[in-house]
Amino acid sequence: MIEFDNVSFAYESGAPVIKGLSFRIEDGESVGLIGANGAGKSTIMKLVLGLVQGEGRILVDDTEVNKENLGRIRKKLGFVLQNSDNQMFMPTVYEDMMFGPLNYMVSREDADKKVNEVLDRLGLQYLKNKYNHKISGGEKRMAAIATVLAMEPDAVLMDEPTSALDPYNRRVVINTIKELGQTKIITSHDLDMIMDTCDRVILLSGGEIVADGPAMDILSDRELLEANHMELPLSLSARP
Amino acid sequence: MTPLFYVIIRLMNKMEKALGELGHMDELAVQDSPVHAMNAGAKLLCTVIYILTVMSFDKYDLSGLIPMLLWPVLMFQMSGISVSTCFYKLRIVLPLVMAVGLFNPIFDREIMLQIGGVGISGGVISMITLMLKGVLCLMASFLLVATTPFDNICAALRRVHFPAMLVTLLLLTYRYVGVMTEELAVMTDAYHLRAPGQKGIHVSAWGSFLGQLLLRSMDRAQELYSSMLLRGYHQHFHYAPVKPFRSRDAVYLILSLLFFTVVKFWNLSEIIGMFVTR
Amino acid sequence: MHMADALLAPAVAATMYVASGAAAGVSINKLRKDDEPSKLPTMAVTAAVVFAGQMINYTIPGTGSSGHMCGGMMLSALLGPYAGFLSMIVVLAIQCLFFADGGLMALGANIWNMAFYGCFVGYFLIWKPIIHSKWFGEGKSAIRKRIIAASILGCVITLQLGAFSVVLETSLSGITELPLGAFMGLMQPIHLAIGLVEGLITAAVLCFVFESRPELLRDVNEVGAGTLTAKRSLKATVGILAIVALVVGGGLSLFASGNPDGLEWALFGNADGGYSTNMGLDEENFGVSSDVADKAESVQEKTSFLPDYAFPGSDSAAGTTVSGIVGSAMVAGVALLICFAGGFFRKKKQS
Repeated sequence: MIEFDNVSFAYESGAPVIKGLSFRIEDGESVGLIGANGAGKSTIMKLVLGLVQGEGRILVDDTEVNKENLGRIRKKLGFVLQNSDNQMFMPTVYEDMMFGPLNYMVSREDADKKVNEVLDRLGLQYLKNKYNHKISGGEKRMAAIATVLAMEPDAVLMDEPTSALDPYNRRVVINTIKELGQTKIITSHDLDMIMDTCDRVILLSGGEIVADGPAMDILSDRELLEANHMELPLSLSARP
Repeated sequence: MTPLFYVIIRLMNKMEKALGELGHMDELAVQDSPVHAMNAGAKLLCTVIYILTVMSFDKYDLSGLIPMLLWPVLMFQMSGISVSTCFYKLRIVLPLVMAVGLFNPIFDREIMLQIGGVGISGGVISMITLMLKGVLCLMASFLLVATTPFDNICAALRRVHFPAMLVTLLLLTYRYVGVMTEELAVMTDAYHLRAPGQKGIHVSAWGSFLGQLLLRSMDRAQELYSSMLLRGYHQHFHYAPVKPFRSRDAVYLILSLLFFTVVKFWNLSEIIGMFVTR
Repeated sequence: MHMADALLAPAVAATMYVASGAAAGVSINKLRKDDEPSKLPTMAVTAAVVFAGQMINYTIPGTGSSGHMCGGMMLSALLGPYAGFLSMIVVLAIQCLFFADGGLMALGANIWNMAFYGCFVGYFLIWKPIIHSKWFGEGKSAIRKRIIAASILGCVITLQLGAFSVVLETSLSGITELPLGAFMGLMQPIHLAIGLVEGLITAAVLCFVFESRPELLRDVNEVGAGTLTAKRSLKATVGILAIVALVVGGGLSLFASGNPDGLEWALFGNADGGYSTNMGLDEENFGVSSDVADKAESVQEKTSFLPDYAFPGSDSAAGTTVSGIVGSAMVAGVALLICFAGGFFRKKKQS
């Protein structure tokens, strides 16, 4: 459960990015955060993860996000970065996947078991001993998701998980996301992907919530989307 | 864009070449052979002692030095990597060593030996010795990197209590060297596509060209650090376990060191030559 | 100016390893004490940028040639001397291992010649005092000028020191028997030019950073906020200038009295070599000739490593070396055989 209670945030000497935001995401929900560039999507992610500190209260499973609780909260959350190169800093995929579990005091044997389990589940065993700098963009994205899943998080946060992927790899990633049992928060401009993977959508504009509701309702509202720099998902728009 | 034009652009790009080289080394390192399977620490130790031994040969002791060639050649063959693969790297080592060595024949004209009436000067011998030293040292260190994945070398360093901070920094940098080089390669291509005929970066862009990349990298480093924190990083890296030191590593180590000692203290070439010419 | 293994004697290489290792140890302790774990990724990424950045060709206006940068000074301005030094070590280590640029055993010397001077001397004696000084008056443009001055002075001085160390190390290793003075006469002026170009490149990059994100530069922030003022800066700077004058002047004067052949070779090497592919430092020029007349007498005892060692009938130097040649040829033949045999095995294994 993730709850925002009147949260505001502004970067140093800058205009506010998030203005008095309040919402609540229940366990098992999958929520798409959408909005124009600069609407505050990424900042929300950073706030939940405690990478930046704002005003107001953010709760993760009834624990407030603050300096003292960071360790406990981050253990519950998995974050897939938009740029997989920044996520995968170890030499090989395997060592990268081991990094999280080992830091959380899991023995090497248990961590290895976990990593192999995830690799099997995602069909990525062939990547195990590959070097991170030698795999393709699609493989890298899948491997990045795998590194996060190896930590067995309660919730997965993803920043543009399908950006810069070819249609095949995009589909692979979407299918993987759909099969995740965890709570999911996904930010993206790929509204078709959001439609495929999320039940609920929060539409942001200028750091405020413009709409919050069932994915289909919001994603099929042409006027609402176009007013916020977006378009109807391709699969919903009739071909000209 | 014509393919030829594209080729020209490609040829100009040093970063692409460096990336290719880096990738090639990685590929070699993950192959399978008795040498690859050896303990990284044993290989590291052998390489260091080998290079030190080569360095210690006197500058006229060409005949004594030549048998040192046998060790890397044998190792190359056992590893299944052709000796010729490392010759590409000679383009960096040889000019430098030659620059020093080439003057020897000119200034050192004392005849040291006669072969069929042709006098060979000390300078020629010391030049060849120096160049051979350069080649041998290169072969040995190339062999180490080409048969040992870099993370294994780092793990071995960690094992001998090399400072953790430096090892972690090595690993992280190694990971990002590829990323940054690729980024700069793209930037270089983009620059030259808009500035045809320019050999390098024009003075007006001296600061911004690398500066832009530098600034972006700072943000990237921040994101990277976040990613580490989010996965529970607390100033400690866990390294993959090294391949255990087994009895055959000991055999390899002892035999190699024995060979170095023999070659260092007995001039093998001369002993063999003595028997033949007697 | 990457040294190669072949150009160093083991004792010199080991000494340089100890010296560089000590500096690295101090740096690590310092960073640990300051508790800056967040610096590690920044150090790694910046080191990677410097590694890649060394491959950029900078066109030098008015000439057909191009310059490069080495990065020690830039790293210490961005990361501070300790973190900068460690980053530079890593850059040099990767160059040595993957690109055969420098050697495994020469790494200690290379770290000292390129990283130690660039980071420690460059930061403590040049960057910090100059940035904190009152040079060029007040305000932003004054700080910019100080950055330029520090970059150029820093690169020139640290390269002079580096070049001087290369001369010393090579001479001590007995690789070149060219008189120290003549060798210096070749090295120092060439590296003056290289240092100047590198200084200009470094200045350009640091000024760009200063315009966009001044908080990234060491010391600049404090000066901008007016919290710190210089005390001993002028003294230090004068001291530095004196050192440079000594090194360059000494080199030049010895150069003038050095043998004319050396001069000839310097010119030849300079025109021919230009800037080399790696650190932008002209490697063609740092080990030059051995102009030694009295070497002949030591030749005989040097032909064999152990003076006592002798086989019956091999008393004369010629005899020794002839059998040496025969033996060498045979050993080389065996090496070649192994090559072919190995290739044979490999093919068999593959099929």
